[in-house]
Amino acid sequence: MKKLIIIPAYNECDNLPHTIRDVREHAPDYDYVVIDDCSTDETLSLCKEQGFSVIHLPVNLGIGGAVQTGFLYAREQGYDIAVQIDGDGQHNARYLKEMERKMAECDADMVIGSRFIKKEGFQSSVARQMGIRYFTWLIRMLTGVRITDPTSGMRMVNRELIQMFAADYPKDYPEPECVVRALKSWKRVVELPVIMNARQMGVSSISPVNSVYYMVKVTLAVILAWF
Amino acid sequence: MSFRLQMVICGAVLAIFALLVRMIWKKKIDLRYALPWLCLCVGMLILDFFPGITSWLAELMGISLPINMMFFLGFCFCLLIIFTITMSLSRMVRKQKQLAQELALLRREVEEMQQRNAEK
Repeated sequence: MKKLIIIPAYNECDNLPHTIRDVREHAPDYDYVVIDDCSTDETLSLCKEQGFSVIHLPVNLGIGGAVQTGFLYAREQGYDIAVQIDGDGQHNARYLKEMERKMAECDADMVIGSRFIKKEGFQSSVARQMGIRYFTWLIRMLTGVRITDPTSGMRMVNRELIQMFAADYPKDYPEPECVVRALKSWKRVVELPVIMNARQMGVSSISPVNSVYYMVKVTLAVILAWF
Repeated sequence: MSFRLQMVICGAVLAIFALLVRMIWKKKIDLRYALPWLCLCVGMLILDFFPGITSWLAELMGISLPINMMFFLGFCFCLLIIFTITMSLSRMVRKQKQLAQELALLRREVEEMQQRNAEK
């Protein structure tokens, strides 16, 4: 089975070595590719120096575009499974084996690593948790399925979803929307408890100012994705 | 504002809103860029149902008819939307240039590789 880890990275030259080390150690049976979203720091030169597998985007596309590039690559190369691990070191590669097993056991199309099933590890700020809980509620209202961590970037998908997302993937704040899209297409989505780390260095891309726009936009996007 | 005028505006705005939603759903426009237009519709509906706001604002600014105030606000908002589109367009043109340049350089690289292979 061909398995790929998609590592979107924007200006993560500080965190990337640790992430790659983690991936190589805990998931040696996976191929990986860093998607450099036209970083302005030394992310690309670092990858070339250290021999990290990298795809360099000539223009910044945002998380949606970067991850979709990963799916395009996965589709091109014929991968059976693709999993997203963020370049900032928040996700732990040791859960990949479990996620794979869960996918096989439950015959699932998507497995999401959720911080909020066992509530261990980095739980994010109170404000964000409220926002996340809101999306859990919204998705449940629309689809009847309870997704405890709809904004989690740590997700594993099978070949069908690789095709679907390679063809079309939301541009910004893609996570909740693509869960709903998968559910709408009658795909099976399951979750697995994972522990995530606090971001070690650098800056997150969602600020308080963006939050209102984020909530409104993603709400509309999720509703439109369902109907 | 007469009741009839209120209903006419309400009908028009709701029709436009529905059209916008349909176009987003059909992926003809991007949700992100349609949002300001949706906000404009919501804003006009609010002003339509609460003409008190419009009257108050009109008095504040020295405009005699509330309906004129409404159109003026709608107009200003449209200008704002056009300006943000101008910004997006500038950004997009720059990205397009970067893409074209990268493509050209890549093509050159490929040609050089082919030539090297041919010479072997």
